[in-house]
Amino acid sequence: MSESAGAVLTVRDLHREFGGVHAVNGASFTVPNGRITGLIGPNGAGKSTALNIIAGALKPTSGSVSYDGQDITALPSYKVARRGIIRTFQISSEFAALTVLENLLVAAPAQRGEALWQAALGKRYWRPQERATVARARQVLARFDMSAAADEYAGNLSGGQKRLLELMRGLMASPALLLLDEPMAGVNPSLARRIERHLADLAADGLTMLMIEHELAVVERLCDPVVVMAQGRVISQGTMADIRSDQEVLDAYLIG
Amino acid sequence: MSVAWQFYISTVLIYLGVDVIACWGLNLQFGVAGLVNFAYIVFQAAGAYTAAVLTLGPAKPASQGGFQQYVGGAHWPFPLPILAAGLIGGLLAALVGGVAVRRLRSDYEAMVMLVVSLIATSVATNQVRLVNGPNGLALVPKPLATLVNLSPIGYQWLFVGLTAAICVCVYWLVHIVTSSPLGRTLRAVRDNEQAAAALGKNVTGLRMLAFILGGVIAGISGAVLVEFISAWSPGSWLYPETFVYFTAVIVGGSGNNLGVMVGALLVPVAFLEATRFLPPFGPPGFIDALQWIVVGALALIFLWFWPRGVIPERRRRFPAPAKEELPVRTGE
Repeated sequence: MSESAGAVLTVRDLHREFGGVHAVNGASFTVPNGRITGLIGPNGAGKSTALNIIAGALKPTSGSVSYDGQDITALPSYKVARRGIIRTFQISSEFAALTVLENLLVAAPAQRGEALWQAALGKRYWRPQERATVARARQVLARFDMSAAADEYAGNLSGGQKRLLELMRGLMASPALLLLDEPMAGVNPSLARRIERHLADLAADGLTMLMIEHELAVVERLCDPVVVMAQGRVISQGTMADIRSDQEVLDAYLIG
Repeated sequence: MSVAWQFYISTVLIYLGVDVIACWGLNLQFGVAGLVNFAYIVFQAAGAYTAAVLTLGPAKPASQGGFQQYVGGAHWPFPLPILAAGLIGGLLAALVGGVAVRRLRSDYEAMVMLVVSLIATSVATNQVRLVNGPNGLALVPKPLATLVNLSPIGYQWLFVGLTAAICVCVYWLVHIVTSSPLGRTLRAVRDNEQAAAALGKNVTGLRMLAFILGGVIAGISGAVLVEFISAWSPGSWLYPETFVYFTAVIVGGSGNNLGVMVGALLVPVAFLEATRFLPPFGPPGFIDALQWIVVGALALIFLWFWPRGVIPERRRRFPAPAKEELPVRTGE
């Protein structure tokens, strides 16, 4: 398989077994630069497993993931994140006993004062950078209309606000590629529309994203291309229009 | 104040210092990083043995009047034995953590730690040549005692001063961790490990760092204690002692250095001192058993009703943005 032009992420022949069950069974696809790639498929198709493998949270049984021309298959998740691949979780994963603002600050990469020797140098060493990080976090909060909740404990947020926090925290990490696992799962329609708008804005800013999403209308509006998985394999990759006319996709959705 | 009272108060203050140091170390592990170290007392014991052996001098064979056997005896001047105790506490933490902290989580981690505590007691008791077995080490010379020519009560107050100075140093260490971005990241790891890793945090490294720092501090606390009481045996560090410190951290305010200081004052010092003056009642050992029950019940009551403790973890607020960034207010 040749590397398609402009692909930042290439997944090749990925396999993952869980005790004899092939969750991912030979999946290959690419994620082009600067767009939102949709990852769809019926339940149990292996989408989340594939995303977990890309993010380094799971090791594949075989196959490879390369990012920016480099193999990242064996990297642990924190090293994948340090390459700029940041993922969000389907289940809210806030740092509950930290405030919303602190949740964002934690996400900032390469912070001064995060290593023991730097902390030992005292506030004067890390404060200036910290101030800049706080300012950036406040901008992100303002962009998502969450400034009022800055000092609230993240654990006290509503389900919908936690989804926003998930996204804000991902952005604070300065991602080059954002992996979104059902960013609108379980939120009310108006908040879902807000999240959709934010994602469209981020795409317009040129951020590359790979998004698992069940709502096909949303996928149609946001995603190009779309990767369809079923039973651990990629059965189609193309524009939404291509996919709609693909008999195999229709079968998978009807059967799955 | 009568000399007897001075002795009592200075002794209580030194115990308080030791317990505060120990609670700060445990707070770093449990309160800040979420590590359930049910073997905490072992690291204190390792520090105590290290300081004792390095103060006692080389062990003498029985033919020369030696009555205790141990490895690695030396006559190091104060404060070297205390620093060495911190080092050994840290090394032991690296060793134990390499197995338990890297690979295990929560309940499993706690269970392994509890077993580590039991194994350590068993080894120290049965390997008599290591640190004199069940009899333990005794007659550890007091630091600086030969250098300063003080009355016994004067020396007591000198030791209070030394303990306070060591408390200040340890506080500096825990404060730079908890007040910095490092502390925030550790708390994030405590709250959600996967999310922290997904944001580029080396979770294993961070957990090991907190575990080792806690081990260093536990070792120092044990060293201060043994230099004061001059003796140390397996009976001083049975596994339930760890739960006294856990109760202190939980009651005081897990995650808050000031809170756990109050916890150290309330649980191991005030509570255990107060029950000392109870008139004896019930069968022999009844009051001791009751103490354990109350300490355990105290931990459960606080976890149930006030899980954040007397002085809860501080909510970190950051200075509001400069005026021009604030949205325009109307109606004021």
